[in-house]
Amino acid sequence: MWQYSPAAIRNFSAPFIFGRFNIPEDNPLTEDAFQLGRKLFYDPRLSGNNQISCSSCHIQALAFTDGRSRAVGVSGVELPFSSMSLSNLLWGPRHFFWNGRSPTLEAQSLLPIQNPDEMDQDLEQLVIELAADPEYEKDFARAYDDVNAENIAKALSTFMRMLISQNSRYDKFLRGELTLTDEEELGRKLFVAHPDVKVSKRGGNCVDCHSQFLTGGFKDAYDGFSNNGLDGEDDLQAGLQAVTGNPDHKGLFKVPTLRNIALTAPYMHDGRLPTLEAVLEHYNGGVIISSTLDPLIVEANNIEITDGTSIGLSLNPKERKAIIAFLHTLTDEDFVSDEKFSNPFEKK
Amino acid sequence: MLGGVSKMKKIESRSIIGSFIIALVMSIVWSLSASAANSVREESHAVVILRGLPTLDTKHSIAIVEMDPESENFGDILDEFDQPDIEQPLHHLYYSPAGRLYATGLDPKCSFAEIGLNRDASGKPVVSKIDCIDTEGQMVGEDIMWHSVNGKDYMFVTFMGGTGGADGGSIGVFDPQTNAVIKIIEARKSEVGDGKPFIMYPHGISAYGDRMIVSSTIHPDLATGVGNSITVIDLNKFEAIETIVVEAAKPVGFPSSPVEVVFIRPDIVAGVQPAVLVNTMFGFETWRIPYNEADKSFGAPEVVYDGVKSGTGVPLEFYGNETELFISHALPGVVKRYELAKLPDLVSSGPDIVAEAGAHHMIFFTSKSGRKLVAIQNNLLNLGNAADNDPTDIDFIASVNAHSVTVHDLETGENLGTINFREKYNKGIDNIEGLFSSGFVHHH
Repeated sequence: MWQYSPAAIRNFSAPFIFGRFNIPEDNPLTEDAFQLGRKLFYDPRLSGNNQISCSSCHIQALAFTDGRSRAVGVSGVELPFSSMSLSNLLWGPRHFFWNGRSPTLEAQSLLPIQNPDEMDQDLEQLVIELAADPEYEKDFARAYDDVNAENIAKALSTFMRMLISQNSRYDKFLRGELTLTDEEELGRKLFVAHPDVKVSKRGGNCVDCHSQFLTGGFKDAYDGFSNNGLDGEDDLQAGLQAVTGNPDHKGLFKVPTLRNIALTAPYMHDGRLPTLEAVLEHYNGGVIISSTLDPLIVEANNIEITDGTSIGLSLNPKERKAIIAFLHTLTDEDFVSDEKFSNPFEKK
Repeated sequence: MLGGVSKMKKIESRSIIGSFIIALVMSIVWSLSASAANSVREESHAVVILRGLPTLDTKHSIAIVEMDPESENFGDILDEFDQPDIEQPLHHLYYSPAGRLYATGLDPKCSFAEIGLNRDASGKPVVSKIDCIDTEGQMVGEDIMWHSVNGKDYMFVTFMGGTGGADGGSIGVFDPQTNAVIKIIEARKSEVGDGKPFIMYPHGISAYGDRMIVSSTIHPDLATGVGNSITVIDLNKFEAIETIVVEAAKPVGFPSSPVEVVFIRPDIVAGVQPAVLVNTMFGFETWRIPYNEADKSFGAPEVVYDGVKSGTGVPLEFYGNETELFISHALPGVVKRYELAKLPDLVSSGPDIVAEAGAHHMIFFTSKSGRKLVAIQNNLLNLGNAADNDPTDIDFIASVNAHSVTVHDLETGENLGTINFREKYNKGIDNIEGLFSSGFVHHH
C-alpha cells in the first residue's frame, strides 16, 4: 500500500523570479496526475527486472542524483553520463538530458525506462503489468483515463515538474528572510559578476551560463549548452552535436542547475570532478582550449592575459572559497526531505 | 502636518536592476522559447498602480496589464489586486537587485511597501500581497535607489514629507534584506541655520561613489512650500554637505521645483566626465552640474535645456537604454531623446515621441513580432478633473492628466495603440513598470 502525499497542487506556489513556465495544454498540473507520477517514479515495476525505479538513480536526499560519476542500471554497464539532478524542471521545458536529445519532459520520461542499460522495460509489457493492478487502474482513471504509455509519461512528467526547490538559504536571502554571511555574500557577488580587468571588477563568471535565480542554463534555443573546457579538440565528445549534427555543437553539454549542488557530487556530465573545489580549480586554471570552447569562458579572467594561451578565472583562494560557500547556500533541506516528493511505498 | 498628503503628487524615477534585469530577461527568453503552442509572452506585460477615482467609485489597485498592441489582449487587465483599506494609493514601483518588488506610497499609513508577486499552478503571475514597511514616521515615499557604500549595500528611499512639518523631508536608509530602517537622514532648513545644507521635500535621488544627490521638490500638500535646489549627501557620514540652487526662469511663478536627478557617471557612459542632470518641474528646464571626481566638488549649475524656448513644460523622468537617454515632458506630452554617448551634453538622437498630456513614466519592451516599443504613462497626478466634480482635482494639474498609456514604436515614435484607463476602467494610472522591470538600464 502506498501513501498519498500532502496536497501538492492545491498548495502550489512558485517564485515569481523564476520566470514564466509553460505546461503542455494536454497535461495540466493536477493532484491526481502528481500522485500517480510520484508512485510511478518510485515503483520498480517500471524496470524489466522489477528491481530498479527512477528513484534508484534519482535519490531525493541527493537532490535526485545518485552520488555516482556515471549511472548504472539493470545491465550493470556504466552509462556515458551521470544522473542529472531533478529540480525546477518546470522552467526547463525542452532539450532534456546532458546532450539535449529529448525535446520534452514527456518524451524524456519514457527513454530511461526502455534503455537496455537503464531500466530495460518493454513499454507494452509495462502497460500490461500496471493495468493488471486494480489500484493503478483507479489511479490512471482519476488522473487521465486508460493505462497507457502516454499517460505514464504524462504522470511522470507532472511529478518531475513539481520538484520545485525554492527554500534554500539563497531563496530565503532573495525573499529577505535572512542575511548571508560575509563569505557567502562575497561568493554571491562573484557568482553574478563577469570579470572586467579594465575597471578592476572581479568576477566568477558563473552567471554567464548559470542563470541568476534558477542557476540552470539559459534556454533560448541551444543557449543552455556549453563547452566548458573539460577536453581538448581530440577528446571532445559529441555532446549536443549528436542531436543537431552541427559541428559547432561538438563538446557542448547541458548547463545543469546548481540548485543543491553541494549534494550532487561528483560533477560535470561524466562526473569526472569529485568536489566543488575541483570544479573551481578547473574554471580557475584548468580550462582546456578547443574550437567550440564557450567564448564567455575564453574571455573571463581576473588578470590581464597577454599571451592568449592561458584561460582561467585567476581567482584567489579566498574568492574560490567564497564561491563554494555561496554554492552551499543553494542547498534546500526542505526539498530533499519533503514528504510529498518521497517514496510513497516506504512506511513512515 | 500633512493633511494634504492626499493631494500630493509625485514625479519620480526608476531603478537600475543590473544583473537582475539580465537574469530576468534571460529567464523570460528561456521560458518563452519553451512551448510554442501555449507560451505566453510576458515581456510585454506591465505592472501598473491604478488610482481609484472618488467620483467613479473605484478602488486603488495594482494590476498586470498587456501592453503589446499586437496582442489580442492589448489593454486587458490580466491580474488585479485591490489595495488594502488605505486612503491614498501606492505611488511608484521598483524592483530590487534581488528581484523583490517595492512601492512607495502616498498614504502616511503606508509610505513604503513590499509587493508580493507569485505564480499560480498555471504559471500565471499574480499579485499576492502588499506589506507596508515601518518607515519610523517617514511619509510620502517617492524614489528608491539601491546603492553600495564602502562595500555595504543599502536601500535608500526619499520621503517628500519626511517626518512632517512645513520644511520636512528625509532620506530613509534601509537594510535591503530586512527592510528595517538603519538611519533617517534629515537636515531641516529651519534647524540647520542660514547658509547650511538642508534637505527639504526630497524626491529625485541618484548617487555615484560616496556622493548622493537628492532634489528639493514640493511639499506634499502642494501648497506649503516649493523647493528650488538639490542637496549633496556624503554617504560616508550620511550627512547633507552642500545645497545647490537650480533656478532661473519662473514660467509659472513658482520656484523651480527640481524633481528627478541622475548622476551621469562612467557606468552609464564609459569615460564620461561625471555630472548631475536635474529636471525642474516648474522651471521647465534641465540643468547640468559638473562634478570633479578628484576633489569631489560640484561646479556651477547651468541650463542645458530650456522648456520655455522649446515649447515644453514640466520635465519629469530620466530613462535610458544602451544608446539613448529619454526625458519625459508632461506638457504638451512628449518624450525627448538624446545620444547617451554625448552625455552630459544633451544631443538629440531623434524626433520627439509624441505621447499625451502628462507624459511621465515609461517602459521598454518588444512586441510579438519583435518590434522595439516604449509604453508611456501619461498622467502627472491622476487627481481627477473638476469638470467631473471630482474633489481631488487641482486645476493647474487637470490639463496634464490624460489617464492613458500610449505605446510607440521606439525607433519611429509612431503611436501604435492607446489605453485610456479612465475610460476603460474608471481609474487613473499612477505608475507603470515592466513585469520583469522595463528592460531599462540607466536611471538613478
